[in-house]
Amino acid sequence: MLPEKLRRIDETRIEVPKDYKAGMRVNGVIYVDEVLEQELETGAIDQVANVASLPGIVKASMAMPDIHTGYGFAIGGVAAFDLEDGVVSPGGVGYDINCGVRLLRSSLKKEEVVPKLKELVTVLYNEIPSGVGSKGKIRLMPDSERRLMLNGARWAVEEGYGEMSDLERIESGGCIDGADPDLISKKAYERGRAQQGTLGSGNHFLEVQHVDEIYDEKVANMLGLFKGQVTVMIHTGSRGFGHQVCTDFLEVMERAVNKYKIELPDRELACAPFNSPEAQDYLSAMKAAANYAWANRQCIMHWTREAFLKFFNAPPGALGMSLIYDVAHNIAKVEEHIVDGRKRKLIVHRKGATRAFPPGHPELPDAYRSIGQPVLIPGDMGRASFVLIGTEKAMNETFGSTCHGAGRVMSRHQAIKRAKGRAIWRELEDKGIIVRSAGRETLAEEMSEAYKDISNVVDVVHKAGISRKVARLRPMGVIKG
Amino acid sequence: MKKFEVIDISGDVGMKAFGATVEEAFINEAMGMYSLITDIESIKAEKSISISVEGNSFEGLLVSWLNELIFQFDAYGFVGRRIDIQSLTPNPQSPSLKAIISGEEFDTERHERKLLIKAATYHKLRIEKTGDVWEIDVIFDI
Repeated sequence: MLPEKLRRIDETRIEVPKDYKAGMRVNGVIYVDEVLEQELETGAIDQVANVASLPGIVKASMAMPDIHTGYGFAIGGVAAFDLEDGVVSPGGVGYDINCGVRLLRSSLKKEEVVPKLKELVTVLYNEIPSGVGSKGKIRLMPDSERRLMLNGARWAVEEGYGEMSDLERIESGGCIDGADPDLISKKAYERGRAQQGTLGSGNHFLEVQHVDEIYDEKVANMLGLFKGQVTVMIHTGSRGFGHQVCTDFLEVMERAVNKYKIELPDRELACAPFNSPEAQDYLSAMKAAANYAWANRQCIMHWTREAFLKFFNAPPGALGMSLIYDVAHNIAKVEEHIVDGRKRKLIVHRKGATRAFPPGHPELPDAYRSIGQPVLIPGDMGRASFVLIGTEKAMNETFGSTCHGAGRVMSRHQAIKRAKGRAIWRELEDKGIIVRSAGRETLAEEMSEAYKDISNVVDVVHKAGISRKVARLRPMGVIKG
Repeated sequence: MKKFEVIDISGDVGMKAFGATVEEAFINEAMGMYSLITDIESIKAEKSISISVEGNSFEGLLVSWLNELIFQFDAYGFVGRRIDIQSLTPNPQSPSLKAIISGEEFDTERHERKLLIKAATYHKLRIEKTGDVWEIDVIFDI
């Protein structure tokens, strides 16, 4: 049953009307069907309503079907603000700035990898630093850390991690202009020094997968995907560097809320007017963290490619291992959108939501201009991940945004309790999935049942038309932190 | 008296801590947080660091305190075993805290790897005195 006052708009959307909560300036819209509606938390609905009360919010406070309760903003939230009277909120981006996903294809077929899968997973596990307390292979001196913040994935390529041609297949070319290393605290420098090229922990992963279903033959072809093909997905972000930037600026925003007399229903929504020095400084620091994350995924992909080549004894450039795309799902960006028939520049916050730009959009690389932006949706380690493509409808309805993953349904504690007496790794191995994790409890916390079924989530955005299914990827080998 | 207990919330993890004094509650909250990162029984009090933090408010001081410890762990691998708060000024104008923490550097060979904590948040943050007991709730972003 939907809480009182909420109204179902259609098969895939629920409206949170302005009278749901005092102070709302616009309606809330949550993309869920009747199946996912059952898992909708009251706390998350309230957060959608709270965001609707922020100054300068445009059109609606939105949430994608993988919605769950976050801090201030719900995870799965999308909110755009006017540049004149709107705000910027670090809580609308999250602690893991530019957490995101990249997908790498290969010319390998599933049956070529299956017999050697266990050894391959071990090689990758040894090659890619992961887990609590792990140290990366890169030590950044302050000067190179500055260059990294300014140049993102390009820094990585210049340092020898990958090819120049990788860059065009990354959202924003793997680097947002306007990062300012002078606004980064000493602490963020310190945390970032040894964490470049590390996976982290929690829901982050590196996964060897195979394409098991194609929904759109033409688009799959253009992306170089075919049934039975082996792919690699990398899910990580800006690591301790980004966490520190968020921590630092939440403090700045706390003061800004008082200074600009902004009334907030929740302290974690701390924000500042877009044109204020506080907001501009945050955005410049956020860009540095976003660039750190793009470099991070670039380094990890490079080592993955090298590990595959070495493992299969193949010469450089063999195995067809090239980048399909890399998307951010925790970020705020200034973008042009049409609202009520008028073109406007807006600051779009996506927290656990993926950009899904349509065919023809000027920000897309030439290779994808005719088909739209690839959207990468990681699922849990036992079920599936998806490749989708951006649509015009997303541009019209959700500021060109869609879902970002499965979304948790179980707390870590519940999951650990549920996994007691079970060997999660063996259950997965029985399904043909080899997993390695650094932490003893990670596999229990991250087991399939702890997450919504990714297929339900993706079906909602597909039915709603805010992105279209292209292919389904099944996990074969998983590395967790 | 129990020192701390895990608060079970979907998505992340919280820690409830108790103390006869506010200082003790701050210490127990920090030790509870360390227990999320690793098995604290395995940590030796080998070296000491001094910490000094300030906050925008009393709640802000608690968040700054925990975030400082998260920073010490994430940047230098330092995990505490014993905490001694030397001064805690809850004065709302300029709350501040000074402490000496003894512990050691995290070693993936010897110490269990549990959760990677990104930050302490203001989400549902609570510092309250109920009867003679100080109680603190903090939710951590994982």
